[in-house]
Amino acid sequence: MASAPKAPVRKPDAPFYFNTSEHLLRIGRYKANNLSELLRAMQACPEDCIFQHTFRTLQEHHFIRQGFSNDFAHWSLSSCNEPELAERLAGVDVRDFTALEGIRHRMIEIIRDFVAAHPESGSRPAHEPFYFCASDIVLLPTPYAPDTLQGFLDGLQHVSVHSIHHHFIEARLRLKRMSNDFSVWLEEDVGLNEAANDIERIDIYTNTMEGVRLKIGRIVAHAVS
Amino acid sequence: MDAEDQRAPSAGTTSASGSGHDRRATPAVYVPERRLADRRIGRNLPASVLTPPAPPPPPHLDDYASIVGRAQIDALRFLAHELRGKSIKMVNSTALGGGVAEMLNRLVPLLSELQVPAHWDVITGGNDFFEVTKAFHNALHGSAYELTQAAKDIFLMYTEQNRQRMHFDEELVVIHDPQPVGLVLSRGKTRASWVWRCHIDLSNPDRKVWDFLRPFVEQYDAAIFSSQSFARQLSIPQYLFYPCIDPLSEKNRELSDAEIQQVCDDFAIDRSRPIVTQVSRFDRLKDPVGVVKAYKLAKKYVDCQLVLAGGGASDDPEGAAVLQEVRDEAGEDPDIIILDLPPWCALQINALQRASTIIVQKSLKEGFGLTVTEALWKGKPTIAGAVGGIPNQIIHKLTGVLVHSVEGCAFQIRYLLTHPEFARTIGANGREHVKENFLMTTNVKRWLLLFRLLEQAKARMPKAA
Repeated sequence: MASAPKAPVRKPDAPFYFNTSEHLLRIGRYKANNLSELLRAMQACPEDCIFQHTFRTLQEHHFIRQGFSNDFAHWSLSSCNEPELAERLAGVDVRDFTALEGIRHRMIEIIRDFVAAHPESGSRPAHEPFYFCASDIVLLPTPYAPDTLQGFLDGLQHVSVHSIHHHFIEARLRLKRMSNDFSVWLEEDVGLNEAANDIERIDIYTNTMEGVRLKIGRIVAHAVS
Repeated sequence: MDAEDQRAPSAGTTSASGSGHDRRATPAVYVPERRLADRRIGRNLPASVLTPPAPPPPPHLDDYASIVGRAQIDALRFLAHELRGKSIKMVNSTALGGGVAEMLNRLVPLLSELQVPAHWDVITGGNDFFEVTKAFHNALHGSAYELTQAAKDIFLMYTEQNRQRMHFDEELVVIHDPQPVGLVLSRGKTRASWVWRCHIDLSNPDRKVWDFLRPFVEQYDAAIFSSQSFARQLSIPQYLFYPCIDPLSEKNRELSDAEIQQVCDDFAIDRSRPIVTQVSRFDRLKDPVGVVKAYKLAKKYVDCQLVLAGGGASDDPEGAAVLQEVRDEAGEDPDIIILDLPPWCALQINALQRASTIIVQKSLKEGFGLTVTEALWKGKPTIAGAVGGIPNQIIHKLTGVLVHSVEGCAFQIRYLLTHPEFARTIGANGREHVKENFLMTTNVKRWLLLFRLLEQAKARMPKAA
């Protein structure tokens, strides 16, 4: 039986403005030499440190398909030799949160539970200290502001991976909702709800950012074909 | 008689190579003024190695687009747009030689091409000044030093002379390293933001020297370090600018296979067998003897050649001593190729790195480790000591492998040579890591971002009545 023909895709109500963000790394005041110090510093450090070591570090390592999640997990393994803690911290998905405080609390909870269960781990010196950093962010426009889906696909192909990260991952903190700029635009301005949902379900931890770009392109191209 | 038989014997050898009994007694060592000392070939060195080549013209911004992508170049142009008409002054202590001058040689024209004119000035001083600043440099790295009033007076006198000579009419003044740090005393007369770019490791400085310099440092608007671990607690904001390499320089540009083959032929390196290479000057902190030991341990299980390519042995007594230690450790192994190259052999280093199967940087102490950056950029699986700035570049088992011992290094050589898929993956990740963080274009971007942020901060400050 032939499937029902697709409804024609409507012209977007508004253009999609591809922006990008650039970051300058600032060295923070906090430093941890063991897990107890990490815990204390995580409670006291500014929010932009939490952003740097979770959201931003994903962007810096966008080319790694597996094995890198956030700096706290990486340090727990490489400098503290605590694979269980590292696994649990790596399991924190930044896309489950729309505010940095949520991530901070989740990370603190995991480390506190681990140190409580393994008291000797708290004061064991790490091989290398953890240096808290933060980012100063500058938002930049790009030449791409398409008002058609074909234009969107074209822009998607040409912008940097930083732009993809900006719209797909960091957007949660801006939107304060469990979505991303691409999905919001496709849903609200184009009416492609299914494509919007499919994009939201792309796994950033098993894909590189180039892989994410390809998948978004495929989903949108499929929706309009 | 075949072609090999016609080759002339090389310096330090007793006969042309070919059969086992007449192999030379020591591994291949190239010293510039000699003919190539090698077991298989003995011809004269190519002229390009004996004399410095003419420097190629500096690249333009658009030349980088094919490497980093058009979007990155667009971002640079956009960042620069708001800064048009504003200018930067860079000040350091030498126009020639050293990593800072090399970096400024590329950075200054690129900023100017973006219509953010950058002026580069160099401080002057007598031998007494540079003796003091050299001692300061070593003391800031942790060497013992007795700071005297006479040394302080010399430092302050030349600082004052340079202040009198220089003008600071730009919007951003960047002072590189400790030698010119005192120029900040001129900031009161200027409209500029002042930034101190520290290229050295300040994690363990001589207390007295640091206490003398710190009051100057804290008069800047910001300080920049090359690694988090190199920084000090300061009252001013501190930024992290990783050192960078230029992907279009002779040391790093893409090479044709013919160019690589030519260099391997010149140095008698067999590309049909695995090549493990360390590029670094003959310095104990680079542990070349440890590399030979690791190679020997690995060689029990895997076939490979070891190339140790460096310099510093001809103009540095300690370098010569280290080279001798390396030769002693290498013994008569014909698969160990030791090359003491002159400093202008960037193309040859590039080719050796590209010909390598694995690159090692088994440092015991390190600054940032730009030879690691170069290796990663060439997509090579890299084994390096977990010291200095190397862990910023090598994420263990993701962008390379970190080691802490001869045994660990030997194991990783064996593992990478027998697991080429893993080696390819970390090599590819390493290249992407460099592309994202350690290229000249990223360095240009960081300067533009910092300049914009400082200009914005200046604009927010209340105007004096």
